[in-house]
Amino acid sequence: MSAVALAPDRPRRWSVAFSEDMSDAAVQRLLGIAPFRHMNAASFPRSAPLADILRNDAGIRRYKKGEIIVREGDYGTSAFMVVSGAVQAVLSPGLPPAIVGRREPSRRGWFSTLAQWWGNSREDEVLRSKPGFGVAGGKSRSGGAEGAGIVLQDIPRVLGNHRTAALVAGDFFGEIAALSRMPRTATVFADEDGTELLEIRWQGLRDLMRHDPQLRRHIDGIYRERALATYLSEIPFIRRLPEEAKQRVMAATQFETYGDYDWSGEYKKLIQSGAMAAKEQTIAAEGDYPNGVIMIRAGFARLTQRHGHGHRTISYLGSGRVYGFDEVAHNWRHPLDPIPLQHTLRVIGYTHVLVIPTVTLEQVVLPALGPEDFPPSRVGRQEARSAPVAPISAPGTHVRGISVPAAFSGGKSRTLEESPLPVEARVDSELMEFLTENRFFNGTEAMLIDMDRCTRCDDCVRACASTHDNNPRFLRHGPVHENIMVAQACMHCADPICMIGCPTGAIHRDAFEGEVVVNPSTCIGCTVCANNCPYGAIRMVEARDESGRILVASDAKPIVKATKCDLCLDQYGGPACVNACPHDALDRVNLNTLDDLAAWLRR
Amino acid sequence: MATILIAAIWLIAVKGGGWQQSYPHFTYLSGWGLFGLMLILTAYNGRKKLPFIPLLSSRLWLQVHLYLGLFTGVVFLLHLRWSWPSGWFEAALAFLFSTVTGSGIVGWWLSRALPPRLTTVGGEVPYDRIPEVVRALREDAERVALGAIPAARTTTLSDFYASRLAGFFAAPANFTAHLRGSRRPLNRMLAQIGEVRRFVNSEEGKSLDQLADLVRSKDAVDLQRSLQLVLKGWLFVHIPLTYSLLLASVAHIVVVYAFSGGAR
Repeated sequence: MSAVALAPDRPRRWSVAFSEDMSDAAVQRLLGIAPFRHMNAASFPRSAPLADILRNDAGIRRYKKGEIIVREGDYGTSAFMVVSGAVQAVLSPGLPPAIVGRREPSRRGWFSTLAQWWGNSREDEVLRSKPGFGVAGGKSRSGGAEGAGIVLQDIPRVLGNHRTAALVAGDFFGEIAALSRMPRTATVFADEDGTELLEIRWQGLRDLMRHDPQLRRHIDGIYRERALATYLSEIPFIRRLPEEAKQRVMAATQFETYGDYDWSGEYKKLIQSGAMAAKEQTIAAEGDYPNGVIMIRAGFARLTQRHGHGHRTISYLGSGRVYGFDEVAHNWRHPLDPIPLQHTLRVIGYTHVLVIPTVTLEQVVLPALGPEDFPPSRVGRQEARSAPVAPISAPGTHVRGISVPAAFSGGKSRTLEESPLPVEARVDSELMEFLTENRFFNGTEAMLIDMDRCTRCDDCVRACASTHDNNPRFLRHGPVHENIMVAQACMHCADPICMIGCPTGAIHRDAFEGEVVVNPSTCIGCTVCANNCPYGAIRMVEARDESGRILVASDAKPIVKATKCDLCLDQYGGPACVNACPHDALDRVNLNTLDDLAAWLRR
Repeated sequence: MATILIAAIWLIAVKGGGWQQSYPHFTYLSGWGLFGLMLILTAYNGRKKLPFIPLLSSRLWLQVHLYLGLFTGVVFLLHLRWSWPSGWFEAALAFLFSTVTGSGIVGWWLSRALPPRLTTVGGEVPYDRIPEVVRALREDAERVALGAIPAARTTTLSDFYASRLAGFFAAPANFTAHLRGSRRPLNRMLAQIGEVRRFVNSEEGKSLDQLADLVRSKDAVDLQRSLQLVLKGWLFVHIPLTYSLLLASVAHIVVVYAFSGGAR
């Protein structure tokens, strides 16, 4: 019997269009309105002409009055442009979850769950349609994306009780979430019956911005303006300011980007060459004058302190963390005894930061704060010079954290709680160096295995296989620091580099909790995600039929699919690997902050 | 759970004798209780086969299994009235139960004692990849040993490899030594390498250094294999004995009721 089977033709980027309804007439209509009317079609390549981008990467959606288009906190991979009608964007604070109809992802039924006992395939990687992935990656449900079919019941009350911003024909929204791999920053709903929106998946938007400079500038401008205003309004010591003071702070705030958005490629080259992490660009240096407070908006930064001839990692900062506030506050309260920056802040990969200048803080923010908002007084400059480098466990070296809403946490909703003992004291610096050098802090569900407890029974691998048609989705293997192994399982990163460049959107974030998942139906096996992933968590496998024969396309090459951990999204009980470990050796830990790691180490 | 176990054992120790005197059929009750407990303990194996059903975590099941196992041992002694049975079938059954309990306790100890040793030695290798790693080390060692011949124009190194190291690299080695934590076999081989160093030139000396590194690597893999084999292998004692015990218990129940003569 032949070991291969002829499959239908190899899937390509536009084999499955984003919307079935984009007729030639609809495309022509779009080409006749702004901004597409002003675009130079000749500047688009033959492989991706403007008309084809609109035909295959976009769709016209129609909404009733009150119908929710996108929900704050949801993940989405498409942006919207108002074609006709009007929409309202609910500004912070957002709508209660119940009003916007939050629902959990669909799971297997009980019988389907039990049927895995006898129904799992005996052959590897049999291509089957997977339950729970009805919303194909990159393909939107009719009538809207994440908030399909949900209608706000009392719009006047919503408009009365919440601040909203009106958007009209030609306005874009949703581009922040689509381009930056972050949650939706606001809930948006239609304000008129028959409101028409152009929904364009981020791959199409990326191509449009690449070939039309005017659109790129426009998107960049609103991206910065909306993100800046919304983010600043979430910072506690800014939120309590009077409106006029807030405006002054917003006007003075600078928006900076460091590093490389596509940092994975460079990082993988470094790993392959055996080099340590490249010299990271310095954002602020220890010993310098604190000329502003830096807030990490996206990405990560390393906090170090001089130690001998090198720098020791004190912590790493993710979205929502603040740097420099202690020093600025101290200097304002003790103008005769100022201190310099106590740590160096360096970018890891890439990071977007907001900088509020010291002069603005001193004039507008600090005078409005109560005594409880200030950190403990620090030693003066003279003493700081002569004092030995503060030990890791010294109080006062901890980094101020803030309450981060779901929209900006890069993951699930969480509050960064400050414990009496700095978290950096509960996680030794060698472990932090290890996590930072390997970029593991990106993971929101990193698989950590305590090798002092692990009996190498592989119950975790067997459980993973049982819940994935007998195909395990991770390797119980990976870098080890002392007794902690970070296994090669998808970490569902806060910044999922794997999603960059996916031509079809097959790899996408689940709209509810933000897990990064692959839709096998729309995966074309291009290997971009697997090559991008810095952690080797995505494996390309050859698809087979029920009898185990490898599926081949008409070009005689095997059909391959990307596979990775999906956190058992469609199963009851959460990740099977965690539930299956008898010795409490394995857990999925959020490494974006050190709190969860410290708690796990102390268990 | 430890507190509950201790309390239960204390209760049995204090009241057990009284219950046996007060209830003439106590042996039947304790027997059925014992059988029920064994079924619950065996259910853990079933739980492991159904990871997709949310039946509480395996960690919790193991904790219950451990403490319930110890408690079952106490109930077992109560059922025997604290004396070894005289009949050959009952004695065999008691022996089966004792070995199941004993293997369980040994397994629990192994699962606590061996993982830290594996972590300390480093060089983590998944068990199913060990043959591949051993083969690669053997090929490297052979290449080093044979590669020294052209430059040195002697077969000192290759002869040494063939006589002293080839067997070591050919297959997993020093199983019991690794279980005991002994480094004697490794030290012996390294000492032999040191001995032959006086008969080689500088180029061959470099090859000897490489061989020494490969010996250390192979020894680490052998340690990994030995300990992982024991960690996996003890279940091949515990589980078959368990099912044998259950079958024998069923036979025991049938025999007891068949020959009870209405004395129940």
